[in-house]
Amino acid sequence: MRALPGKENRQPPGAEPVSRDAAAADQRRRILEATAELIAKQGYPETTMEEIVRRAKVGYATFYKHYPDKEAAFLALIDAATAHTVERVEGAYKREEGPWQDRVGAALGALFEDVAAHPDAARCVLVEATAAGNEAAAKHEAALKRLAKLLQPGRELNPRQAQLPESLEETLCGGVVWVLGQRLMAGEAGKLRALLPETLEFLLRPYVGEQEAAREAGEVADAISA
Amino acid sequence: MAAEELGPLPAGRHGYSREQVAHHQRERLIAGLAEAVAEKGYAAVTLSDIVRHAKVSRRVFYANFERKEQCFLAAFEVVVAHLRELVAEAAAGVDGWPQQAITALRVTLAFLASEPDLARLCLLESRTAGPAVIARFNEAVAELAPALARGRAERPEGARLPESTEDSTLGSLISLAQRKVAANEAEQLTTILSDGAELILLPYLGSVEASRLTRAI
Repeated sequence: MRALPGKENRQPPGAEPVSRDAAAADQRRRILEATAELIAKQGYPETTMEEIVRRAKVGYATFYKHYPDKEAAFLALIDAATAHTVERVEGAYKREEGPWQDRVGAALGALFEDVAAHPDAARCVLVEATAAGNEAAAKHEAALKRLAKLLQPGRELNPRQAQLPESLEETLCGGVVWVLGQRLMAGEAGKLRALLPETLEFLLRPYVGEQEAAREAGEVADAISA
Repeated sequence: MAAEELGPLPAGRHGYSREQVAHHQRERLIAGLAEAVAEKGYAAVTLSDIVRHAKVSRRVFYANFERKEQCFLAAFEVVVAHLRELVAEAAAGVDGWPQQAITALRVTLAFLASEPDLARLCLLESRTAGPAVIARFNEAVAELAPALARGRAERPEGARLPESTEDSTLGSLISLAQRKVAANEAEQLTTILSDGAELILLPYLGSVEASRLTRAI
């Protein structure tokens, strides 16, 4: 969002373009935070522009400078939130050097942490953006597909891998999204840690079998309580 | 479900009781909403759209519902109640939990595939219709958990399945179906029967038995 060169030239001497960018970034952050809080609380259809600008403590003009309407702000929020989450989750997966099961455990742990740290934005992504036929749903779906790829190598561990349903990875991720969404709607973002081992078990079971999945989940549960 | 199928309300002296007329009007409004949603999506549907499709006046709408969200909830309830009946009827003649579960899924998918607009309304549009509808949708799904949890009695291992097993299984099933509908393939929902059934049976029967039973579908 740097100013156009012509405009930059007209700036009074001494003004720093950087601080101007920083101010704009701060405005956007406030707008998106307000959007997330309001939509998480009352849903997308019920949230108005007026409420967003009031909560973000910006003027209408400032809002319009960044986003043409409520939907644009919501989409920007979904973009930012999914990008942040995907980066965290993929990063955790890559950093873990153990076997695939451990990498999935690390990725899932990062996802749960991210959701617990940003419950409003997470609710917007996991619940509000799951309706289809709109752009937000497409963004949600794209992020889910990307994370579903992390499960793919698990197929190598299953002797019956050829028989596994093609949609398995995305379907499992859909199950995780559902469970997280349920917990967020119940206001239980703070209790997600306890859910981590069983969710990992759910994800690993089709690939490594129930005993191995339960064992992995047990290890994670021990690590959490330690 | 279309308003046309219900036929026009007889005008003038028709021998119907006030309650019967009110009931018909409510049904027409629900069908009208379903048509309007199929046409342009819930978010864009106005009250005028609903009453136009239902062929009743706005006054009649307000006599039945406060706002369009309530009308949506009523439509959702109609589908849920119908599905519940279909499943109960079909599963009654089936022995054993695994086959009952498969039957329930088969009947549900067959109905939704035969009514693609309603499948879309329930599985996708419900996510855009505000917190009350989302909450009701989730509740309706959660109501299926006890029937699923009966699978825990199938094997001794069932006793140690995590508490969220039913939740995550139902969630992945919903996600599988939603994805099909979102791809405009609601009519082909029955094609996810074997994958869906395997998802349901896997935690309760183990992968070998789950795959054996679903392969036979």
